[in-house]
Amino acid sequence: MKVVTGVVGNDIHVVANRLIDISLQERGFDVFNLGVNTYLEEFVDAVIETDADVLLISSLNGEAEGWCRDLGILKNRFDLSKVVFMIGGNLSVGEVSIDEIIPKFKNYGFDLVSHQSDLNEGLDKLEAFLKERS
Amino acid sequence: MTLLQREREIIVSNEYIDNFDFDEVKEFIKGASKNLFISHKFKTRDNILVQPRGGFPTYDKVFELYGEFKASNVDVLPLTIDSNTRLNDYAMAKKMLALSEENDTNMLNGYPLVNHGYRTTRKMMVHYDTPVSLRHGTPDARLLIETALASGIFEIEGGPITYLLPYSKNFPLDKAFLYWKYVERVCAEYSKLNEPINRESFGPLSATLQPPAIVIVIQLLEMLLSLEEGVKSFSVSFSQTGSMNQDIVSSNVIKKLARKYADKFGHDDAVINLVYHQWMGAFPYNKTYSDSLINTSTVIAAMVGADKIITKTRDEAFGIPTKESNAQAVANVKYTLNMLKGLPNVHDEAEEQNLTLQVDEILEAVFNDSADTLWRKVFNSIKKGYIDIPFSPHIINNNQVITVRDDKGNIRIYNKGNLPLSQKSFEFDREKIRLSKGESVVEKIIQDIGVML
Repeated sequence: MKVVTGVVGNDIHVVANRLIDISLQERGFDVFNLGVNTYLEEFVDAVIETDADVLLISSLNGEAEGWCRDLGILKNRFDLSKVVFMIGGNLSVGEVSIDEIIPKFKNYGFDLVSHQSDLNEGLDKLEAFLKERS
Repeated sequence: MTLLQREREIIVSNEYIDNFDFDEVKEFIKGASKNLFISHKFKTRDNILVQPRGGFPTYDKVFELYGEFKASNVDVLPLTIDSNTRLNDYAMAKKMLALSEENDTNMLNGYPLVNHGYRTTRKMMVHYDTPVSLRHGTPDARLLIETALASGIFEIEGGPITYLLPYSKNFPLDKAFLYWKYVERVCAEYSKLNEPINRESFGPLSATLQPPAIVIVIQLLEMLLSLEEGVKSFSVSFSQTGSMNQDIVSSNVIKKLARKYADKFGHDDAVINLVYHQWMGAFPYNKTYSDSLINTSTVIAAMVGADKIITKTRDEAFGIPTKESNAQAVANVKYTLNMLKGLPNVHDEAEEQNLTLQVDEILEAVFNDSADTLWRKVFNSIKKGYIDIPFSPHIINNNQVITVRDDKGNIRIYNKGNLPLSQKSFEFDREKIRLSKGESVVEKIIQDIGVML
């Protein structure tokens, strides 16, 4: 399974990104890590280039809210129907309720949304989703 | 006119610079008070020099901050530069400075030195007549350091590796080497006029589980790159690892090897100092725990025989500290240091031997690279992963080295990636790692990062 991952926007918090990378590798994924400070278009380009099964975007400083609005447009432009879209981390700048944030990102076009949850919990969720799908 | 001088003329011919007068600057440095030179202070000190961190957008706020620090009997003042200036975006810095001045708020996370200019900034430096250290994180610092030196700031922190791998995603590393070569040459030239300009490397790197061997290798390489351009006063540094023993081992090895390699490359006239950074990782939210952490690291700084200590505050977990709490931290560290004069030298032979072996092995691989100049050898070594720091955001970093803590809190190499370490020196580290039953390496790393929380 190929996963493209990275931190969206002008966020340069790298520690969690490296932990996601190592964790995915430990779980047997083939990881293409674009690192910090990555724009949505770059993520989609990488998914096409690597023929990835999963796009896992993360955010720490909460900028994702602004950076991921156009995911739907990009998804319409290319045939990405087999790709699983997941986002996780700290998904808003200010404090916000989880009942508000999850539907918002689902509307953007994400299949899985993890807000302020444990890394392993999130990856378990991803693996369960992939299993169910196949 | 030399090529360097021609480049300097171009660098200072910038719309944000008002008539840079090289002759006047030269005269100023020639006649500057000795008290402005940290290299002079190192020679005459009777205890570890204490330096806090800090910088505000406006002149007045920095002036007040310095006043507060001086009242705490500070030894070295900091000048931290804002993030726009670090990325050479002087237009944005100018705009944010104007907003900060108009509304009396801080719209920048530091002092936009280029926009303030050297004529203004120099007034403050001359007024306090105390050494100032330039703290930034700039890959292309050419204009910034011209302005700093002209202002009377005679210590410049940074380097092509330590200000790039932890601070940038994709600034070209080869350019960083060349831009820093310019910095070294300008510092070297001014060093001939009065007391030497001191250059300092930034040992904390990404401040997350950095293995001492890599830290020391990078410190020594930046030292050599600086000395080969003619710098005569250089500080190597590292930050508190989380294990007192590992700090002592690191300092014994770095002191010994810095002298060894400086001499080996023909720089026996250069003065090498050691700087110790108080804990640079995640700080506790409990302020009394922070006090304890800061006190402990002060004890360690004395124990390792540092020449300078760079302090933190009890407010670290909550953002930029107020000037009062920052000054209080300086006063407390000075108070603690007074009890710690003349400590014995402690050694751990086996640990020191292995760390020395690891550093020598990596350096040998760097020096054996076929490139013709040292900076190219280092550049190639980073590309090949011979030098690889954990938790770097930069694309050129190999990102294969994994480190965790052993039972005693020492940082150990778990996965050596492409580090050119022998089986012997790697096994020494690796065999000390114990994972509890069912514990994954990632879980261990997360726990080890948060060790002070």
